[in-house]
Amino acid sequence: MSLIAFWGAVELGLVYAFVAIGVYLAFRVLDFPDLTVDGSFPLGAAVAAVLIIAGVNPWLAAAVAMVAGALAGLVTAVLNVRFRILNLLASILTMIALFSVNLRVMGKPNVALINAETMISPFFGHGLRDFYVRPLFVGVLVVIAVIVVWRFLESDAGLSMRATGANARMARAQGVNTNKQIYLGIALSNALVALGGALFAQTNGFADVTSGVGTIVVGLAAVIIGETLFGARGILIALIGCVVGSILYRIAIQLALSSDILGLQASDLNFVTALLVTVALVLPRLRRGGAA
Amino acid sequence: MISVSDIKVTFGKGTPLQKQALNGVSLTIEEGQFVTVIGSNGAGKSTLLGVLAGDVIATEGKVTIGTADVTRQGTAARAGRVARVFQDPLTGSCGALSIEENLALAARRGERRGLASALGPQRRALFRDRIAELNLGLENRMRDRMDLLSGGQRQAVSLVMATLAGSDVLLLDEHTAALDPGMAEFIMTLTQKIVSERKLTTLMVTHSMRQALDYGHRTVMLHGGEIVLDVAGDSRKTLQVEDLIAMFRKMRGQTLDDDALLIG
Repeated sequence: MSLIAFWGAVELGLVYAFVAIGVYLAFRVLDFPDLTVDGSFPLGAAVAAVLIIAGVNPWLAAAVAMVAGALAGLVTAVLNVRFRILNLLASILTMIALFSVNLRVMGKPNVALINAETMISPFFGHGLRDFYVRPLFVGVLVVIAVIVVWRFLESDAGLSMRATGANARMARAQGVNTNKQIYLGIALSNALVALGGALFAQTNGFADVTSGVGTIVVGLAAVIIGETLFGARGILIALIGCVVGSILYRIAIQLALSSDILGLQASDLNFVTALLVTVALVLPRLRRGGAA
Repeated sequence: MISVSDIKVTFGKGTPLQKQALNGVSLTIEEGQFVTVIGSNGAGKSTLLGVLAGDVIATEGKVTIGTADVTRQGTAARAGRVARVFQDPLTGSCGALSIEENLALAARRGERRGLASALGPQRRALFRDRIAELNLGLENRMRDRMDLLSGGQRQAVSLVMATLAGSDVLLLDEHTAALDPGMAEFIMTLTQKIVSERKLTTLMVTHSMRQALDYGHRTVMLHGGEIVLDVAGDSRKTLQVEDLIAMFRKMRGQTLDDDALLIG
């Protein structure tokens, strides 16, 4: 693996760290299996790309992308909470609908961002080579996201969200409006995923309607790799685990695809992903002696 | 003061499984009074507790807690007025959260929850002191996850949690039923101490006639969704478990075959 390929993997891992944190919020904190992310990731990319091309400030474009993601999450949450549709199914419905929405937003399946002014472009050309600048820039945003989410989850408001996912009956007895917590949590989760999508579009120079396929698996892979490596030791460690897991996942994929011995091609990506997630899921179980 | 007046609760109305869980129950509990509630399975004890807690919305009747009419309020909306300890230790606290996080959650029961850190140094110290009073050594395990504790320890912490924020009524839902006899004894002693120290208006549902007579100021017996016995004061002091059983038999005109009422 070349230096550029390595830093490329780190950069992609950092972009998907937003997805991992979002997935962590939905799956782990709220215990809500949310597949909306497969739609909200390209939604974030599409909204940001279209706005940037229209001349909107890229930071504002990313903020709007987050709002769009939050609204997508809210749709899933309303379908589940208000209309009692099974959470998994509710999220699949939103995800399917978002495919069409994303096509509408972009007007075509693919939008290029070459030569457009992005969030990162002001940082290019200051002596550091581009393939360092991108992961550094995304990395700083990831650190901010980790700190914000960590402080939130350890606040009074965050505690009520965690209680909602862990023991809804107890949460209600403590005066927590659990429905509101699900709305808020799933919206927040998808806002982060959409921000990941917005950054993906800007670091890769395009938004594509199919780029969302398998987002949930990638996010979940990162969460599980993080948990396998760090164990359950509090919120901050879990969030750092999401980020590290996301980067390691990308490096592992890059290694697998670039190793000549294995003879894998880029088109084998999804298979390798499924295999990696399976291994990450099975390993801790084997380590416990298969009893669980 | 809390009061329920002419409460009727019908489950599955209009279906073949329709069940009249409460059939016109009226009960007024004065401020600071400790009432124990007994009754066999299906008598309506849990439904009555649910009506007070907000888990069950009454089909008919009125529920007042403190000064407020809470008849139509859900559990979360009236949580500021109602403190509660559940029968199942796993229900009353959050296994995935640490002891101190559970306490922080309970300390804001019924209040707005902001973005400030849930565990500042002051709160940590307060929680530690309150847990140290239990003499279970848990004050050194404040950061441990709740699910590492035994059922008895969790109930003890749940009792502390119930008293961190103010309330108009404390509801105890057979909160010693899942514990071994030694731990049940400890939890009851602790309950007695907390209730009398803080002069809490309390309603305790129990399966044990012994407990129902030994603790509190007043005993209510439910059967078939109605109150069939309501004793307090001197007449209650002389009452024995045997009398209760005899009374129960006489009142219902049937033999008592529920062993659960005799245990303990």
